[in-house]
Amino acid sequence: MDLRGRHVISIADFGREEILHILRTAEAMESGKAGEPLSGRIMATLFFEPSTRTRLSFEAAMLKLGGRVMGFSDPGSSSAKKGESLADTIRMVERYADVIVIRHPRDGSARLAAEVSRVPVLNGGDGSNQHPTQTFLDLYTISRLFPQLIAGEGLTVAFAGDLRYGRTVHSLISALCHFGGRIITVAPRGLELPPQYIAEANHHGITVEAVPTLNDAIAACDVLYMTRLQEERFPDALEFDHIKATYRVTAAMLASARPHMRILHPLPRVNEIAADVDATAHAHYFTQAANGIPVRQAILGLVLGAVP
Amino acid sequence: MNENEPSTGTSTRIRHVEAISSGTVVDHIPASATLKVAQLLTGSDDQVFVGMNLRSARSGRKGVVKIAGRELDQRTLSCLALIAPGATVSIIRDYGVAQKVTVPVPERFEGVAKCANPNCVTVHERWTTRFTVVGTDPLIVRCIYCERSFAAAELSLL
Repeated sequence: MDLRGRHVISIADFGREEILHILRTAEAMESGKAGEPLSGRIMATLFFEPSTRTRLSFEAAMLKLGGRVMGFSDPGSSSAKKGESLADTIRMVERYADVIVIRHPRDGSARLAAEVSRVPVLNGGDGSNQHPTQTFLDLYTISRLFPQLIAGEGLTVAFAGDLRYGRTVHSLISALCHFGGRIITVAPRGLELPPQYIAEANHHGITVEAVPTLNDAIAACDVLYMTRLQEERFPDALEFDHIKATYRVTAAMLASARPHMRILHPLPRVNEIAADVDATAHAHYFTQAANGIPVRQAILGLVLGAVP
Repeated sequence: MNENEPSTGTSTRIRHVEAISSGTVVDHIPASATLKVAQLLTGSDDQVFVGMNLRSARSGRKGVVKIAGRELDQRTLSCLALIAPGATVSIIRDYGVAQKVTVPVPERFEGVAKCANPNCVTVHERWTTRFTVVGTDPLIVRCIYCERSFAAAELSLL
């Protein structure tokens, strides 16, 4: 399967076999035998808004494969500040680099960049729209924990928190549609999963069940995918305080969880996972974050044609 | 066949909107979209006639817009498909209908409407908007950039 030259903009652009190929390549990368196939290649990171994990893990992935990195992480230091259009910025950078990673506050910015660029563009998050490499690493994490996901036996994945605006939730649900299983949701009123994602899952034979409490979800799932609640989504500060107390996993609540159940979170977490959960066998979010490196190594290697 | 009130098919109907000798008649416009269509077709020196809330056997109420002396270009037809799906377009020559078609809904709309998502990159950068059709009854389109879907009625023309 040849992914050379491919842009990585939206999870919807990838079919099941392509996703599996990326996951298998990530596994090979994690084994540490990849060497430095990207020696002499340059990755540009254009971060028009702040990011910690995404930028650093892309850079670490490129460095591990022998490549070099350049870019900016503060839009104030870019020519966008002077009013340059995004298209012109890309037309310039594509002449300097072999691959471009972009994070931008506007929805659809990565797609626009890909239309302009002759080198692969990797979407590191475009507004509230897509963050496909996060989805690949979420899937990779789940598939490493539960190989039966790949075998199509299906898992029960519970999503909790802001399911309306959470782009990582939407993208992961779309990706899970390739693998079957069952979805449980638990969300505050007004932040429920939009109907289009329920319809998409149902269309692929996946049931979506909304449960009233986090405890219900914990007891019934194989994977609990937590997301951060953002205060600005709540018009009333008192209501936010109440809700955030309700959407908080503590170690005591995990007594009813299945032994193999694992908790994921795209990070950063704020209040939704208590620190005492970290020491339990269920906590898996830091391993998930670490998986960003082999997954991004795989994507870089594949789109640059350096690994088969 | 004379260009009478276009929806009737009978010669005895009273004409509600001025006849034109040549030009274009857009008929079966959803009643709520009539002014949008008139606005789309106005903008030159051509005479434009508008009929609103006309009775229609097919849809209850409808609009009719006639523009004298002009046939519609492809871009205008694309706009019409977006704001008045199901409308018919008749080309009038010498008071007769030379050609009549239901406005075809293209697979894509390019550069005809503004994305309704205020955070879409196309709203902030000079870039051609592109929508794909994801449903036809009612017409639902999806911005290929921000990936949001909208009912056609939610979009404003560029």
